[in-house]
Amino acid sequence: MIGTQPASPDGPEVAVHPDMATLPLAVAVRSTQPTILLKPDPMPELENPFQDTLIQHHRAEPCTLVIFGATGDLTHRKLIPALYNIAVGGDLPPQFKVVGFARRDKSDDVFREELRVANAKHSRQGHSEELWESFSKSIHYHRSEFEDTEGYQALGKLLDDFDEERGTVANRLFYLASAPEYFDQIMQQIRAAGLNEGVGGRWSRVVCEKPFGKDLKTARRLNQVVNETFDEKDTYRIDHYLGKETAQNIMVLRFANSLFEPNWNSRYIDHVQITCAENLGMEGGRGGYYDTAGALRDMVQNHLFQLLTLVAMEPPTDLSADSVRDEKVKVIRALRPLIGPEAVGKNVIRAQYTPGSVDGVNRVGYRQEDRVNPESKTECYVALRLYIDTWRWQGVPFYIRVGKQLPKKATEISIHFKKPPQVPFATSKMIADSENTLILRIQPDEGISLRILSKQPGQALFVQPVKMDFHYSNSFGKASPEAYERLLLDAMAGDATLFARRDEVENAWRFIDELEKAWHESSTPPPMCEYPAGSWGPKEADELLQADGREWRRL
Amino acid sequence: MAANGADSNPPKPVSMSDTLHENDLSILGQEVPLGRVDRELKKLWDTDDAKTRASLMNFAIYSEKAEDLARNNRLLEQITSTHACRALLILTLPGGDPPRARAWINALCRPYQGKEVVCSEQLSFVLEGGNAAQVQNTVFAHLDSDLPLAVWWQGDLTSNFEERFYSEINRLFIDSSAWKDPATAFAKLETAYGAPTSDFEVHDLSWTRSHYIRSALAGCFQSTLALSRLPDVERIEITHAPGQRTSALLVAAWIAERLAYALIDAESGVRFAKPTGETVTLDLHEGPSGYCIQRLALVGPGMKTEVKRDPSCSFVRVCAHCGEHESSEMLPADAETESELISGQLSRAHGTSLYIEMVPLLREMLAKL
Repeated sequence: MIGTQPASPDGPEVAVHPDMATLPLAVAVRSTQPTILLKPDPMPELENPFQDTLIQHHRAEPCTLVIFGATGDLTHRKLIPALYNIAVGGDLPPQFKVVGFARRDKSDDVFREELRVANAKHSRQGHSEELWESFSKSIHYHRSEFEDTEGYQALGKLLDDFDEERGTVANRLFYLASAPEYFDQIMQQIRAAGLNEGVGGRWSRVVCEKPFGKDLKTARRLNQVVNETFDEKDTYRIDHYLGKETAQNIMVLRFANSLFEPNWNSRYIDHVQITCAENLGMEGGRGGYYDTAGALRDMVQNHLFQLLTLVAMEPPTDLSADSVRDEKVKVIRALRPLIGPEAVGKNVIRAQYTPGSVDGVNRVGYRQEDRVNPESKTECYVALRLYIDTWRWQGVPFYIRVGKQLPKKATEISIHFKKPPQVPFATSKMIADSENTLILRIQPDEGISLRILSKQPGQALFVQPVKMDFHYSNSFGKASPEAYERLLLDAMAGDATLFARRDEVENAWRFIDELEKAWHESSTPPPMCEYPAGSWGPKEADELLQADGREWRRL
Repeated sequence: MAANGADSNPPKPVSMSDTLHENDLSILGQEVPLGRVDRELKKLWDTDDAKTRASLMNFAIYSEKAEDLARNNRLLEQITSTHACRALLILTLPGGDPPRARAWINALCRPYQGKEVVCSEQLSFVLEGGNAAQVQNTVFAHLDSDLPLAVWWQGDLTSNFEERFYSEINRLFIDSSAWKDPATAFAKLETAYGAPTSDFEVHDLSWTRSHYIRSALAGCFQSTLALSRLPDVERIEITHAPGQRTSALLVAAWIAERLAYALIDAESGVRFAKPTGETVTLDLHEGPSGYCIQRLALVGPGMKTEVKRDPSCSFVRVCAHCGEHESSEMLPADAETESELISGQLSRAHGTSLYIEMVPLLREMLAKL
């Protein structure tokens, strides 16, 4: 049925598509009089009738991305190449613009040329000058100090000019790629300039890079600052581990396969190990930052806790961002607290590497590294035994280890199932150390392995572990997108599932703070252990598992 | 890579058709007796520990044209380079009596990370006097178990495209631009798709070829300004390559279906009626050879949204004029080769509801042209 109704009591008659008859009319459609554009005020509005053709990320509406700290490494190495690769796939929102906001004086052309060189070097899918020429026209540079009020007012004017040029109001995404000490100023200035409010029913969002605080107090302060400017629903705290294909696959593996979930509990699982090994040290001047953070703050509080929550969470009721994050935060809240030097010393091992060699190359010890305090008390290795106090995980230890200058680069999760209660055809000795193990390889060589027991061919009944192996790259010919591609698109599309929520961050810091306190504020702190560079960590970390009758998985 | 020799005795070679000779068949790898296909495949892998066999699906190319054998063999190699599968090459030559069948095995390998070699396995069948029953009994007996079956049916949907065949398929690839009688073939496709025993998704390369052109057009109307002018459209203009008229009609049907246009009787050409009763004309132009859809435009008073692909350009240019406002951007263009089109589809999530929704309108349009 075709209906007509006035757009306003005195306005022109407006044709209504039958499918649209139930939607509020917010934009002008055809009339016998000249078409009038009504500002989209407020949302919602008519839907694009061709939207079904667009995959999810194509559906993003016109958007301007403002990067604070745009002259930094992150913009050149990650953000611009990610945006370029999104453009290669045709997934950028229409009439997209990106504005680099930084203190150095430079023109659009100079900025674009710097980014062109960086993109040619770092782009995942290569660099086409033809596409770059078109894409780079969307890039602009805006010079301002972070504390300069006029700079933000000028930014607002620039964004308005873009909207004028487009003929429509665009959404605004602010990306904090600057050092965290500037977050405060930037947020205050954004608010003062009124840029935190979407115009004409459009949204305005912020993406925050890590580190999100260095303890609970600073994280709360940052959250307060950000949330004074942006609602929590418009705040996207990035953790690039969640953008990895293999991390996203954990939920698929668990909840789309009926094989695993019934066994995913303390009745069948003996323990879980999460390893994040780096075969590098403090190259490229990273010692300066790292020595102020350490492995616990730099990796465990964010990346490894995110992996832990994906492994341990209950099935969400749906895949909405908050449903998933509700379940994840419950895991963090259920972590058994480790309070005081004794509990921490018993369950957490910290260490620094001493001189050694990795891949046949001699390496100096941590304290001899560039920009590291020679008397540093910062850990570059940490191993933890954690318990999650829920029905599902009662009594199941989660062992986490992360470290620098280990023998290889690998991030893997292994689920170690319990041995069968009774094996009628073998002695327990024959199947020692050969429990079923499910391995999720996060990076590199992304994939999944399952170790099962099998009878060896022959007259005698010998049992031997065999490995079933799935490699992403063998089965799927095409390369996975970079984590930043996925996360930037999600932020523009309004999907916060792969971003950390305020309560996740704060609860994680609450747990971590107790460990830091035991190490740095106690009169009887647990010792700083040592391991030679190129080894798998200190012997004390091995003893942590040996005390439970277990051992670290061989990677 | 050719397969290693086997110790079995292949059947005595026979000439399979006027256009197919033994030399043509040598590209298919190692001929094996039909009854020993699985055993010989196992031997093929046993001979080389350095190769990893990978398989995500069964992917078959079905053809009834002997002259396409070499081309199809190349296509399978290209497709398996990005999609590990058990590849099946099926050539049926209807009419031979008595029916006879021959089989070949091969390994299609690609390097991985510069060291390891990952391989798909290829089985080729030449079925003289081939009918649907023969395909079912001979070919479908050698599928990689528990994995889905995708079939690229080349050419017209012949009498072999019948229930016993399509009821086995999970994903069907066709190219409606290659059909001699599209109206009849679309009717046959619709019947098969709706059959109680069928459960396949259909991917028409004629539709796939315009994926990015359509996405580019759709993306334009994410802008409120452009969306507000959409009801002003008076003309749909499409320029297509020779032989790609069906692709152009599919795009027109998509636009009409999404905008709830109804096909109306016209003395010549195709015209639609908007829900408001105003008419919209469809201008189809056959352009020079080259890209399938070369230009797509929605035109109305004071507005024009145009997606255009220039010769030798790897991207499409999208230009939108709405009153005084103009915007222009470059977006990815559709793949051109058949193997890229198929690979693209295999990489995407399934789903053909949009295409199937358009078929009734397309059939109406075909009846009027």
